[in-house]
Amino acid sequence: MKKILAILLAAMMTATAFAGCGEGGSGSGSGSGSGDNSGSDTSSSDSTADDDSADALVDETGYWVDPSAFGEENNITLKVWAPDKAVSLVKEQIDAFQKHYSDITFKSIDVVAQGEGDAATQLLNDPETAADVFSFASDQLNKLVNAGVISEVAFLNTVSGANDPKTVEAGTVDGALYAYPETNDNGYYLVYDNTVVTADQAKTLEGVLEACKAAGKKFIFDCGNGYYSCTFAFTAGVEIDGLETVGDEQKQKFTDYDPDKAVETLMAFSALMKQYKGTWTSLDVAKIASGFTTATLGAGVDGSWNTVPDQEALGDKFGAAKLPTINVNGEDKQLKSMFGYKYIGVNGSSKFPNAAQILALYLAGEECQTQRAANLGWGPSNLKSQQDKAVTDSAVLKAIQEQSANACAQVNIADTFWSPMGNLGTKLFADDTDPTDKAYFTKLLEETIKNIRDEA
Amino acid sequence: MTYVEYKQLNPFQKFAYKFKTFFKNLPRAVGRFFKGIGKAIVKFFVAIARGFKNYGTTFVKGDWATKLSYIIFGVGDLHKGKIYKGLIFFAAEVLYILYMIFFGWQYISKFGTLGTVATTYVKKGISKVPVYGDNSMLILLYSVLTIVITIAVFAMYIANIKDAYKHQVMRENGKKPTSMIYDMREFLDGKYHITLLSFPVLMICVFNILPLIFMILIAFTNYDKAHMPPANLFTWVGFDNFAALFDIVNTPKKAHTFLSLTGWTLLWAVLATFTNYILGMIVALMINKKGIKLKALWRTLFVITIAVPQFVSLLLMNQMLATDGAVNVLLTEISHLFGNTTQIEIDFLGKSEVLARTTIVIVNCWVGIPYTILSMSGILMNIPADLYESATIDGASPFKTFTAITLPYMIFVTTPQLITSFVGNINNFNVIYLLSKGGPSTEEFYQAGKTDILVTWLFTLSMTSQDYGLAAAIGILVFIVCATISLIIYNNSKSMKDEEAFS
Repeated sequence: MKKILAILLAAMMTATAFAGCGEGGSGSGSGSGSGDNSGSDTSSSDSTADDDSADALVDETGYWVDPSAFGEENNITLKVWAPDKAVSLVKEQIDAFQKHYSDITFKSIDVVAQGEGDAATQLLNDPETAADVFSFASDQLNKLVNAGVISEVAFLNTVSGANDPKTVEAGTVDGALYAYPETNDNGYYLVYDNTVVTADQAKTLEGVLEACKAAGKKFIFDCGNGYYSCTFAFTAGVEIDGLETVGDEQKQKFTDYDPDKAVETLMAFSALMKQYKGTWTSLDVAKIASGFTTATLGAGVDGSWNTVPDQEALGDKFGAAKLPTINVNGEDKQLKSMFGYKYIGVNGSSKFPNAAQILALYLAGEECQTQRAANLGWGPSNLKSQQDKAVTDSAVLKAIQEQSANACAQVNIADTFWSPMGNLGTKLFADDTDPTDKAYFTKLLEETIKNIRDEA
Repeated sequence: MTYVEYKQLNPFQKFAYKFKTFFKNLPRAVGRFFKGIGKAIVKFFVAIARGFKNYGTTFVKGDWATKLSYIIFGVGDLHKGKIYKGLIFFAAEVLYILYMIFFGWQYISKFGTLGTVATTYVKKGISKVPVYGDNSMLILLYSVLTIVITIAVFAMYIANIKDAYKHQVMRENGKKPTSMIYDMREFLDGKYHITLLSFPVLMICVFNILPLIFMILIAFTNYDKAHMPPANLFTWVGFDNFAALFDIVNTPKKAHTFLSLTGWTLLWAVLATFTNYILGMIVALMINKKGIKLKALWRTLFVITIAVPQFVSLLLMNQMLATDGAVNVLLTEISHLFGNTTQIEIDFLGKSEVLARTTIVIVNCWVGIPYTILSMSGILMNIPADLYESATIDGASPFKTFTAITLPYMIFVTTPQLITSFVGNINNFNVIYLLSKGGPSTEEFYQAGKTDILVTWLFTLSMTSQDYGLAAAIGILVFIVCATISLIIYNNSKSMKDEEAFS
């Protein structure tokens, strides 16, 4: 009996040894629920001689290639990561892909659901077993390129010619294009109840707030989340400008700005928040759809991924527009937002690099982008797909397109960017902040930038 | 002060006296602690020296087979007829050499630099693919593995020599070595503990000790987002990560964050531990009081809160305390009764440092008190009833019985539990992270908020900014703080000094 007890105890001790072995938490960081980096400082125009050889194999559609591009690869096994909602569509697209290249033997092409938000984290965990072709949000590009786990795009000229130049620019790091643009829609815009706010009022922030206040409704703008509150800094002229290397550390670079004017803009924002206290609320964007449902909300700044619930909540009353302007000392300034893209990347450790490149080219090509715009409502980056009826008819996609012209690309953003930006927004919004205290705002802006650049 | 003098003091004076003596004795206790460590170190070196001495004398006294065992494992045992053991020793040596040639050496040889070969890119067909150079992380990981294996093989080497000499002596005395079957039987009898514990100990080494060494070593590297394997190398930086946490001149913000958060962490641990302990004890006393009806019902009601998983309660609380949450709605409705027309929107967790910290401590009571009530009820029911009877006969007041019987008994039994819950609160990730995520945010701290404790800061640093080196350094410091506090308190507690009391 004693021995049996001892065996049990020993077994338990063994079991506790495994206690720490669970999968580590997959924290998504403090930024947004979406991606963050799009390269902004380099252009993708210069191409080397050997890149042309790959481009020469692409036919006039822009997404099919000559089978010789596969080289010696045969009996191909590939793994594809796509977000949950897109898996079934991607499977159909892969069937079409296999049918087209009937001369090549495909052993299997698996599609596995994997969110775009943490695709890079998962890939970095173990590149060897990760997907060969994967979707990811633009903020992770920098991480992937730094770790060297993503391959350069083989069909450079084809891809850069077919897509929105902004998405191509954002996918470029140090002169090399690393990813196939997939969407051009990852941002936020103004959603409003058109019985409360008129299209004309939606053009200015003051108009929106006045209309909401008059109707006794709220306006939601999440000031505590760096993904949204960076709008204040960007509008103030403090825009991000890629990363720079100082010593052996990469630091966030900002454009040159006039500190005096920047502070004035921040003060204007803070003054508006105070003036419309009770109307302007700083809540998570998840509260927007429910606010419309309960008719307590007049307008909000919401992400493109929440469009469907917002439309369901508002029905005919749904209104969408680019972000409004704000009046700073008599001058109307357009709000500048953060804008991201989604990309398809090729794993650097893929066993079939050529096949992976060809598949990525197809999945990011015109045909597939048009299908996704029609079926999933994703805003395409392909110039021809952008002319498709499904895209031009959508008020939301139109608002997003307009906003994308007034935005900083969500690429090459330091990990330290998000929480100081969130703090900046929180402080502008805080009750005890005096919007006329210029010294306070000057110091706040200085400290925020110092924190982002890790200069302390 | 004599015993009689002490007995004549009133309770407050007694408390003051005890308080004073605790702090008067503290330096001596700390001194004793370090003296103990010193003694242990001396003992350790003496043991090593003795090992070397034995190593030499055995070689001198050994015959040729024993001497050969110094180079080839197991020869001595084979020569003396202990075949199976000799073969095991020999196999260990062969396997170790093979392991080093085919696997271990390529990593351990780069342990000093953690790799120097950078990643390059080559054109392959239409695509350009990376050719990875050294992977610093794998070098570090497998080097640790190799070092541990080497230590194990060294232990086997020593055992092999000792065994060889032992059997040589046995032969000289005309005895035969025991047979394999006899030895195996021994493992089910006299050495049964080895049979049972070898597997768990092995597993603990592989799954707990190895990663622990690995993580500790990371604290001395510059493993961060700029040095991410596989494409980039990281290397040793000595104590730079620790320096960053204390250097007020060169890295003022990190140092300020670390020191402020350490202060709050300790304050939090004290508050969280003692609010739970004292309030839990009071509720338990009330429930256990004679004459209280439906005791089982009250106890069950509190236990029900345990049935809801802690993280669920915390996430719900987080929602309820939001500016548009249930608590604010309730306050608004109540204030309407008194003629207020505006909406109340108190930001409990996001604005004021004091309010957020207080809120967290109070919410922590909600999730923590039921556990205290449970254990306290058990202890209260265990206090021998005759103690109370004699106290009543002697005419003691209820307050006196509490301070003279109940309290000493409870503190005696629960000191170890207090220590564990104190250390647990220093590392209480859930309550802080799920309630406030470290907020209210501030520009004064580096990647931390006003309610962040060290572990939540560590989490942000490793998950958001990928500052693995810095995070590992913080982890080590947290461990040092916890270990020191626990050892000092435990060694000074009555439960440790006087185990026999109350039994």
